[in-house]
Amino acid sequence: METSVKQQDQTTVVSITGSVDALTAGELTNLLLENIDSQHVRLVVDLGGVDFMSSAGLRAIMTSLKESRKHGGDLRLAAPQPGVEKILKMSGFTSILKSYSTLDQAVASFGS
Amino acid sequence: MNSMRQITRAAELQSLPLFRDFIKAACKGRADIDDQTCYDLQLAVDEACTNIITHGYAGMNPGSIILALELGRSQVVVNLTDFGHPFEPSRAPMPDVEAGLEDRPIGGFGLFFIYQTMDEIRYQTTEDGNCLTFIKLLSSSERA
Repeated sequence: METSVKQQDQTTVVSITGSVDALTAGELTNLLLENIDSQHVRLVVDLGGVDFMSSAGLRAIMTSLKESRKHGGDLRLAAPQPGVEKILKMSGFTSILKSYSTLDQAVASFGS
Repeated sequence: MNSMRQITRAAELQSLPLFRDFIKAACKGRADIDDQTCYDLQLAVDEACTNIITHGYAGMNPGSIILALELGRSQVVVNLTDFGHPFEPSRAPMPDVEAGLEDRPIGGFGLFFIYQTMDEIRYQTTEDGNCLTFIKLLSSSERA
């Protein structure tokens, strides 16, 4: 798994490439929580480059989603690929967080 | 046209991508196994192996996991064998996928995904180890 972080408008975009499994999910959780600790509470997680995600990845997203909302922000998803989209739907995540088909849509959803 | 493949790897998290790559390589040679079916197989094996690594071998010396794939005409049979503590998957609680954010636990989706993506699941403990078997029907329609 590789990650990159950039500021886009008033939003922090965390882009992930590769696999998010039990081996790598802890690293992702730490990265997201560090951003929230630094007051970057409006987060977009760009999943466009994620070819595999397990329940460990969902745990990282859930932990960070709860933390960002606790601090008045939100965590939104962008560009999940079909396999990842399926686990988001199966787990009911699509009813508790916002997911957009493109990164631009996810960033724009926060407004300016 | 059944084809059998098997690998044995250490029961450690670093082995997870190796098991997934093994499944992907096996599926690649079969035009009738689509990307979603391959993902489902990778997901079920990944979740089961994660449970074996983090719970099955807890408190024990690190052991191994044997993954055997049998790719038939109408189904894929996956056998996972380990030598850790037995774990009966059907006794585990399932998460409430309709719960709101506040009521929702952080984890608990691993076994749920296995039950959602596989068509049949069997578990057997013998003196030769614990064997978890999944069957994925190739003609089954997506249920999730």
